Amino acid sequence: MSDPVVTVRGLSKTFGEGETRVEAVRDVDLELGRGEIVLVMGPSGSGKTTLLSMLGGLLRPTSGEVLVDGTDIAALSERELPPFRARSFGFVFQDFNLLAALTARENVEVALNLGGSAGGEAHERADQLLTGLGLTGRREFGVDKLSGGEKQRVAIARAIANHPRLIFADEPTANLDAAHGAETMRLLRGLAKDEGTTVVIVSHDQRLREVADRVLWLDDGQLKHLEALVRDAVCGMLLDPAQAPASLDSGSETLYFCSRGCLREFQESAAPELDRGGPARARPPA
Amino acid sequence: MTALPFGAVPLVRRQLLARRGRTLAGVLGIAVALLLVLALKAIFAGMESRLTAFIDGTGADVIVAQEGVTTMHMTQSALAAGTVEAIAGVPGVASTEGFLYKGAFVETGPNGKSGIVALVGGGPVPNLIDGRAPRSGEIVLDRVLADTLGAGEGDVVRVLGARLRVSGQVEGTAAITGSFAYVARATLEQVLKVRNVVSYALVRARPGTDAGELAARINRDVAGVTASTRASFAASERRVVGDMSTDIVRGMILVGFVIGVAVAGLVAYSQVLAQLRDYGILRALGLSARRALMIVAGQVALLVLSGFVLALALTALLAAVLPELSATLVLSLRPVDVAQAAAVAGAVALVAALVPVIHVVRVEPASVFRRTS
Repeated sequence: MSDPVVTVRGLSKTFGEGETRVEAVRDVDLELGRGEIVLVMGPSGSGKTTLLSMLGGLLRPTSGEVLVDGTDIAALSERELPPFRARSFGFVFQDFNLLAALTARENVEVALNLGGSAGGEAHERADQLLTGLGLTGRREFGVDKLSGGEKQRVAIARAIANHPRLIFADEPTANLDAAHGAETMRLLRGLAKDEGTTVVIVSHDQRLREVADRVLWLDDGQLKHLEALVRDAVCGMLLDPAQAPASLDSGSETLYFCSRGCLREFQESAAPELDRGGPARARPPA
Repeated sequence: MTALPFGAVPLVRRQLLARRGRTLAGVLGIAVALLLVLALKAIFAGMESRLTAFIDGTGADVIVAQEGVTTMHMTQSALAAGTVEAIAGVPGVASTEGFLYKGAFVETGPNGKSGIVALVGGGPVPNLIDGRAPRSGEIVLDRVLADTLGAGEGDVVRVLGARLRVSGQVEGTAAITGSFAYVARATLEQVLKVRNVVSYALVRARPGTDAGELAARINRDVAGVTASTRASFAASERRVVGDMSTDIVRGMILVGFVIGVAVAGLVAYSQVLAQLRDYGILRALGLSARRALMIVAGQVALLVLSGFVLALALTALLAAVLPELSATLVLSLRPVDVAQAAAVAGAVALVAALVPVIHVVRVEPASVFRRTS
């Protein structure tokens, strides 16, 4: 990839020690291009949020580096990191995470304040952003007076207020209905394609694959190539064939399962068919 | 950049006002705690001002007492007539006037009401508002005591076994410790069965003579006396109250401090706990730990400042209302006492902010990803 915005090398994060030691992210290498939308998917507990937190400078990695336009944010001091984060990154959260004590406009203004802008300048920029997102009449409303879709648009306005190079979105459509989810997807795509902002999305929502330039699969703390993954023949979960808990060789192809339960279910429902096709041999977990 | 720029969203105020009930309760609690300190100081200050009402009103430049005596209350003094004559002979003295002084009860009858007085025999009668200065067999009472006793002009009261007729009233001397009453020197000599002796001598200086120098000269030239300027004598009198009240005031300051810290600390801590997620969001957006600390410290400071202002207002209200309810209860709000209460408030804010600040500084920016449900 030429001129990546983010280059990640050997990124790892370990929590706890001894018996409680958990390797949440393991030796991840990654490059993110300017204006690219990258969707990170994976099962719950696979380390998606930990990876996002480290990319966004919210969590210190145990090892490795995160270079944002050449600056290793993992090496920035506690004094340097917050302002860098305020100016370079925007965050969109599943729970919106707006400040309840503030109005819609003030929520956007706070981000601008943290980026170094205040007073009339910040006021105007917040107004402009909220107007652009169709929230003109809602600017002075308290957060509790806004609908889910409106809250997410305020959150997006806040995320882009300081013209960030990167936007990190954690399950941005999870708390939205279909229409508002689609609207959020459209907004994120617009940011990437029109503004050149790199967008990293962590989500279980398959619809987001439609707007993503690249889909990464994180499993057990490691990034996998989606093309190399297979689907569980029963529940549809994506699996790394090398680590699938169970598989079934039907002669012409090998089927993989996320668990022995799915394998058993498959064998019970498909037994007559398998009988016609010849004996299938179940294999123990890899 | 670690601090929010000028003109930024007022997070300190907004977050406090987000939970108005809790904030108001906190301000009230802190105000009550500081009111304990302020009101008590004001009561003692009021008492002090009443205690020196006679001294302040004599118009004397120097007050002379028996050697080693620098107050009227809580002590005794006796000067021989010859000593007063010797004082009159000191260069720079324009005039001298001796008076007797004795603490006593004033009663209206065998089963009547009574009150404590500082009985002055001889000398001027300051702040006379009704009637005339006492002649032989007469007494002038403070208006408040006269009202309490129901003793009007012409009525007879008993003092140290003697029956004296009320000839007038003064004002501004009644405190919870008692008031001043005035009789003729001859009357008190008769009552106390003493002659040719006074308790104190009031000295007026000749024009152009400095009171301090005159007092020093009297101390040097006249044996067995202690001469003080009126100001220093009054200051000594106030110290009597000060010494009596020091431990009480200290105790109340401690109580006020503890209550203030408890209330401010609890309110700030509960605010912080309720807003931990907000701090996580702000930290994720780029707020430094130092700035988060300053926001919490600002909230505590604003709480305590509001409580302090409210306490001042309540003390001023008490100072206006209490004398209407009880004429002996006078509150005087002095700048030095306000400064002391402000220092207590500052200490309250500092201590109360400690725990919430530690809590907020430990908030991890990544905590923002934890689901709320």
